[in-house]
Amino acid sequence: MKKFTSLLVALVLISGLIGCTKKNKDTGRTLNLSIPQEVKGMDPIYANDRYSSNEVGRVYEGLLEYHYLKRPYTLVPNLADAMPVVSEDGLTYTFKIRKGVMFHDDASFPNGKGRELVAEDFVYSIKRLADPKLQGLGWWLLDGKVKGLNEWRKKYSELPKVDYTEVVEGLKTLDKYTLQFKLNKPFPQFLYSLAMPFTFAVAKEVVAKYGQEFLNHPVGTGPFILPVFQQTKKITYVKSPNFRKKLYPTEASEEFKTAGFLEDAGKQLPLVDKVVVNVIIESQPRWLNFLKGKIDFIGIPKDNFDSAVTPSRTLSEEYISKGISLLVNPSLDITYTAFNHDLKLFQNVDLRRAMALAYDVVKSNELFYNNTALPAQSVVPPGIAGNIKNYVSSFRGPNVDEAKKLLAKAGYPEGKGLPIITYDCPSGTVSRQIGEYVKKQMAQIGVRIKVINNPWPELQKKITKRQVMLYGIAWGADYPDAENFLQLLYGPNKSPGANGSGYNNPEFNKLFKTSSIMQDSPERTALYEKMNRIAADQAPWIYGVHRQNFTLRHSFLKNYMSTDFETGQAQYLNIDSKLKVKVLEKL
Amino acid sequence: MNLWQYTLRRLLYIIPTILGVAGIIFVIFNLVAPDPALIMLGKHASVAQIAELRSELGLDKPYWAQYLDIVKSAFTFDFGRSWTTKQEILSMIKRGAIPSLTLSVPAFFLSTVISISISLFVSFYRGKWLDKSAVFICVLLMSVTSLAYILFGQWLFAYKLGWFEISGYESGFPDFVPYIILPVIIWIVLSIGPDVRFYRTVMLDEIYQDYVRTAKAKGLSEKTILFKHVLKNAMIPIVTFVVIQIPFLILGALLLENFFSIPGLGGITLNGIYNSDFPVIKAMTILTAMAYIIFSVITDVIYTLVDPRVRLK
Amino acid sequence: MAHTSVQSVDEISLEKIPSRKSKSLWDQAMENIFRDKMAMTSLIIVGIYALISILSALGVIAADWAVEVGPSYAPPSGEFLFGTDIFGRSVFTKMIKGTEVAMSVGLVAACISVVIGVTLGSIAGYFGGKVDEFIVWFYTCFQSIPTIMLLVALSFVMGRGLVSMYVALGLTSWVNLCRLIRGEVMRHKDREYVQAATALGGGHARKLIKHIFPNVSHLVIISFSLMFQTAIKTEVILSYLGLGVQGRPSWGTMIDDAKLELARGVWWQLGAATLAMMIVVLSINLLGDALRDALDPKLKGK
Repeated sequence: MKKFTSLLVALVLISGLIGCTKKNKDTGRTLNLSIPQEVKGMDPIYANDRYSSNEVGRVYEGLLEYHYLKRPYTLVPNLADAMPVVSEDGLTYTFKIRKGVMFHDDASFPNGKGRELVAEDFVYSIKRLADPKLQGLGWWLLDGKVKGLNEWRKKYSELPKVDYTEVVEGLKTLDKYTLQFKLNKPFPQFLYSLAMPFTFAVAKEVVAKYGQEFLNHPVGTGPFILPVFQQTKKITYVKSPNFRKKLYPTEASEEFKTAGFLEDAGKQLPLVDKVVVNVIIESQPRWLNFLKGKIDFIGIPKDNFDSAVTPSRTLSEEYISKGISLLVNPSLDITYTAFNHDLKLFQNVDLRRAMALAYDVVKSNELFYNNTALPAQSVVPPGIAGNIKNYVSSFRGPNVDEAKKLLAKAGYPEGKGLPIITYDCPSGTVSRQIGEYVKKQMAQIGVRIKVINNPWPELQKKITKRQVMLYGIAWGADYPDAENFLQLLYGPNKSPGANGSGYNNPEFNKLFKTSSIMQDSPERTALYEKMNRIAADQAPWIYGVHRQNFTLRHSFLKNYMSTDFETGQAQYLNIDSKLKVKVLEKL
Repeated sequence: MNLWQYTLRRLLYIIPTILGVAGIIFVIFNLVAPDPALIMLGKHASVAQIAELRSELGLDKPYWAQYLDIVKSAFTFDFGRSWTTKQEILSMIKRGAIPSLTLSVPAFFLSTVISISISLFVSFYRGKWLDKSAVFICVLLMSVTSLAYILFGQWLFAYKLGWFEISGYESGFPDFVPYIILPVIIWIVLSIGPDVRFYRTVMLDEIYQDYVRTAKAKGLSEKTILFKHVLKNAMIPIVTFVVIQIPFLILGALLLENFFSIPGLGGITLNGIYNSDFPVIKAMTILTAMAYIIFSVITDVIYTLVDPRVRLK
Repeated sequence: MAHTSVQSVDEISLEKIPSRKSKSLWDQAMENIFRDKMAMTSLIIVGIYALISILSALGVIAADWAVEVGPSYAPPSGEFLFGTDIFGRSVFTKMIKGTEVAMSVGLVAACISVVIGVTLGSIAGYFGGKVDEFIVWFYTCFQSIPTIMLLVALSFVMGRGLVSMYVALGLTSWVNLCRLIRGEVMRHKDREYVQAATALGGGHARKLIKHIFPNVSHLVIISFSLMFQTAIKTEVILSYLGLGVQGRPSWGTMIDDAKLELARGVWWQLGAATLAMMIVVLSINLLGDALRDALDPKLKGK
């Protein structure tokens, strides 16, 4: 027995040595990223969360993309040759497809060679999104928008097999490289949907060959290739050898020009040879790996409230000396505590206002966002039309005295007569702490709260089934348009739609309906602002904050900025490998 | 009844056990589990879409058919696809098994060997301060939560001191070795407490048997008695104890795998828990339950085989 | 012994305990424990913890755990013993309040599992036959499912909170005790004194309660201490998985907070909760050991 033990000890020691010699082997032009959750496969039509759509966006591409270096966010052609020709009535969009774009090589093509992308591929890909049998998660994007597509979807949901060859009026090719969309009614946000991974181009040969396993065989036209996707903790992409000529932009907004973002201007993309994505679910190892330089940047993901990881608002000397820098960018989002408007209780506007006033948003900003977020005055975040600069809502706390008065006016002096109100929030450390904080704040005016944590799907279920009273949640923009936020309060969008609170205000609904078919214009902005004011005044939610992304990055990572639309970002990033070697020695 | 008949009987007993386990799983996961449609369709789901999905998943089937599906899956291992990742669960399990085993097998083996050695050693000095303090240390080790070991161990040894990889995994030997050393050490620390305590009790039980007294009276040395007789006889409960733990090894260590980013079954299970991914949780439950049932038959048979004291009924 | 497969740590040693007929053994065991300094210390510590949790439940102490006493994340000092948390609340007070949760989880969960285990075990052992087969089948099935999976499933079913934590932990830990009791009861029911009771016309219930229970109660006491500390430890893991106690501090939620704080250098919450838990679990373990030693004549006088 003893001999055996010593043998094992020796084995462990030897393996320890192997471990030491292998350290720091990789300092080449490899991007090392980390994500905090599993990727939901590599099928564009299911990429409905930030992390999955980022992964999809490395391999697949769409007609349009956001200009990497322009703010406010501007759409530019990607697989389209130019921006589309839009008919006068705003209903017909005609695209020319870029010629000579090749799919990645894959066994599903003849001779294993990727073929050229054609307009028909988009017709196929968008029909896939609408396919009733596939349950694509991005269908809401085009639901009711494209002429004939809903009818096509409905017809085949009852038939055993879906026929993709049946022509849909609103989704046609005019020739090999020309694609035409016809809409049911003006939909000014339509172009944004063509920059989202849901509508990215897939090849039907690949789908046909792999069937249900298609989600593990991403074959696109994008800058990186991933021969087989495996659901593990590490995803490794390599640069596509036959990626088309696509250059790093030469133009930029002022802020980026001065920050040195144009150093790589005019270079062929992608700039790195390899992208390694590490799935690290626990925050401690993610953070420690970053500090050791094994991860190039560490985002503080807005959806999981991980902000507590950042040491402080300004970086300490220790980090600065290692070349780590902090990036703070406002993000297009809002956190809020919604009332369930189905309940008679919360149809009482004074009660809602009282609770909104009791909530100390400044202090919560300090506690949970290191004072970097912006207290929200209403629903539309800054940075997009519809947000009113320097507007202060009259029902923005903390104002406990006023809150108490309003509570009395609502018929519940000192909270008497109120039931215990439940507050549902996602489970997770910070969400739980925020819940405790809400409870504490409401106790000041005599409103009793009971905090309930739920796993994310459970919370969604409760909201949809209207089993909530108050709940804490957040919304991130799908595209940079106030409509994406205002729709959260639009009556007809009631649960199971995006309006989980069930708020229903005829005046607001009317304005929304009018604005939703208007092209971007001062008139539309005026309507947006009007709705924004109503949303502040009526306090359908207790507004939280508009968060800021903060990201820490190492000095050797070039061209990185945090953005709300990260799809495809990896192709623009660069690694200064010489600097990296030096920095790694210090870490 | 001879051994063969006993084994056969024991094997037949598997059938009602599986039916019962399937029943418990059915009650928990099919009767009371949340609606998958909301998990799978996300924030923009419509009512029609939910209905379509439900029928596609077979959730509108009658209960008896759903129950039969569970029983079937215990034999075919056809667990369907994950709700969140849409991957085939069987292939997830196949992929995750190797990394889990590369962590759990060495860790289990080492901790067993080390614990048995320590317990032999301390039972030699039974009642002395060495024994007493060893027992105390074991209890002390057991009293600290596993989370503290993991959080602190990773921070100190991997980050501060840089002795080990912080997290990650490479497939293939010996590439994975540097990544599993620290989790293996933590595993050993975690299991040494209860293990030593158990093995020590087993050995002391043997030491106080009559034959040991006889052997002593015959003038055999303490060492000879301990190694030749006590260890041999103590092997029965030890083997039983070891074998019955094996099924749980396939789950790896839920927390360890997650903290060290080892792409094993434990991490898959934990993710299933976080995302209310019921097919995954169900599959892992069925898998471990099946392994447990099979291994308990093996244990029982071994037990009867080596211990003539056990009566065959 | 048809289904002897899993023998847990304590079972093996417990099964070897011969039956007892007189109360004097209990007195002797108590005497042993009072003589053992370590066991006495443990007993006193457990007593203190119990006292703290009762006082905290009555609101005498730590009722003000939610009050801000200082700045966010103040390190331990003379003013803030164990420092403060993100809200500037005293970690010490939270630790005290957490004691209430831990002790109540331990107590209630252990009680639930003792009730289930003893009831099913004695019914199976006493009546034998089909009833016995059914109960054995039931716990064999139950035991085949990993505890963690059952816990998770039960918390999903019952929702989160203290009550569901009690029930989930209680429902998942009764099997071992049940099997032990079944074995002991089987051994006792044919003995002369029980036979004699039958001859005197005692009913089943009377026989079980008056004659058999006193003879198996030592198993209950020892298992109780084991379940108690397992429940405390499991509470931490469940809280980490997001299935724990809500709206009030527990050691589990404190450690859960710590996983984000440690990288910031805030170690005191992890430290306080771990320490508090370590001391009580250690004491219960040592006490359990002492009890077992005291009740097991073979280990006596080693």
